[in-house]
Amino acid sequence: MNRMTGRKSVTFAFLLPWLITLSLFWLYPLLHSLYLSFTDYELLSSTTEFIGLQNYIRLFGDPTFLEALKNTAIFVIGTIPFTTVIALGLALLVNRKIPGAQIFRSGYFVPSITSLVVMALIFTNLYSKGGYLTMLCDFAGLPTPDRGFLLSETTALPAIMAMDIWIACGYYMLLFLAGLKSIPEEQYEAAELDGASSWDKFWRITLPQLRPIALYIILINTIKSFQVFVEVFVMTKGGPLNSTLTAVYFVYDRGLHKFNMGYASAAAYVLFLIIMLFALVQMRVFKVGRSTAE
Amino acid sequence: MKRTVANWILWILMLTVLIGMLLPLWWMLFGAFSESFDSGSLWKNLSGYSITLDNFKSILSVKNFGRSIINSAIVGTAVTAGNAIFCLMVGYAFARYRFIGKKLLFITVAGVLMIPVHIIIIPLFLLINKLGWYDTYAALIVPFLVNPLGILLLAQYIRELPVDLEEAARIDGAGELRILFSIVMPMCKPVLAVLAVQIFMTNWNAFLMPFILTSSDSMRTLPVMLALLQGYQQINWPQLFAASTISVIPVILVFLVFQKRIVSGIVAGALKS
Repeated sequence: MNRMTGRKSVTFAFLLPWLITLSLFWLYPLLHSLYLSFTDYELLSSTTEFIGLQNYIRLFGDPTFLEALKNTAIFVIGTIPFTTVIALGLALLVNRKIPGAQIFRSGYFVPSITSLVVMALIFTNLYSKGGYLTMLCDFAGLPTPDRGFLLSETTALPAIMAMDIWIACGYYMLLFLAGLKSIPEEQYEAAELDGASSWDKFWRITLPQLRPIALYIILINTIKSFQVFVEVFVMTKGGPLNSTLTAVYFVYDRGLHKFNMGYASAAAYVLFLIIMLFALVQMRVFKVGRSTAE
Repeated sequence: MKRTVANWILWILMLTVLIGMLLPLWWMLFGAFSESFDSGSLWKNLSGYSITLDNFKSILSVKNFGRSIINSAIVGTAVTAGNAIFCLMVGYAFARYRFIGKKLLFITVAGVLMIPVHIIIIPLFLLINKLGWYDTYAALIVPFLVNPLGILLLAQYIRELPVDLEEAARIDGAGELRILFSIVMPMCKPVLAVLAVQIFMTNWNAFLMPFILTSSDSMRTLPVMLALLQGYQQINWPQLFAASTISVIPVILVFLVFQKRIVSGIVAGALKS
């Protein structure tokens, strides 16, 4: 009996770090921001009133917020297909038995372990007026904006997106590579006996087998891309003319810069719901894909 | 014959991609060590290139820049050590003990990984203020001491370890804490190394949380300092690239030394969740 209660308190003590972290730094903030989203809370105001859904109603009439949602959607839709396809291509390339495969693998991965702030700084330089990417485009005869890519409304967001694809594809390449390694060699050998070409093998064995990992990659990349912030903060601060303003930047700016915390929390929850919706849909697709494969 | 030609073409393609991938980092190093850097003229840069450490000297003399390096090192070390100990404890409890609500609690660990951080930045900012931790080391360390991914890694690993040694020690009357730290922990060394490398690198590069939880220049971590240096006045690129180099070098070194572990950590983390 004594031993049982002793065991119980040990279990509790071992779990305590997680219980504290979970409740204090995850669940409480999650609920607190939900509560804030129904109030007019501002950091410096003396009274806080419960205003129901007013923040949410205001958000959908706020052109800046709608612009931020639009930019975020463009960012997500415009980066994920490229990142995924390039990552898969790179994985297939480095998976072959060729001299220096290991060096290629590591080299492609380096941008994704490097600090995002540093990457954003380097690209700010490369994209600037007289910077090398601008000069390269000039050299190739492509039109370039007068004040550099990041100061033009039409090119700023695509420039940030291009950088993000460039940074992220090495990371997802690694995950694809793990998926490729888990495909049993015998399947290929059997196909070869049937006289399948490498093209057939790719479409009939490799691609279907990679489906789970591909869906997983798209899922985590979606969640991550919806939250794009650091690049925007370092490179453009949402400008020019809100053309790179993203949803999380909007939350940061309204909540922690202008201290309209109730309003910003509502914006955060709208984005949260959008992300959860996407995640659920993708997980559905994932499940359906798995059950049909079985 | 046709095959080798195709292979060569692919190989050259891969090399081109590799160069493209590393060029921006090379550009950073190039600027950081350059005596007369001019971001607008490559030929001028290449022809009159001479290596100097002046940019590093000048960035280190910027007030609080050195301090930000120290801050990053302190915070990174504390968070890494904390995660090693706490994830071991929690992971062990999940792997070995039976208790009410275990399944549900384990789901919270994986579930939290799905929560987008942006939803908690405002309440976390308010909470840290209420606790009186704003702009202190506590704000930069305490909320990040138990990483859910670390718990998953450890629980999984411990589950696959044999229980015999632990049972024998228990019969000999050893306490649970002693079993954990003198028997289980040594066996967990490989996975703890994976975790430590992962946590340290993530923390070393982290921007958003350290940025919103501190305000004074002397409490900034290195990435925050870098982002703010750029905003201050006319950008001094060679100086900024020197600062970036200081921030990148440790990560690249750690990567080169622990490459296998980093990769296995990332893949394991991905496949587990």
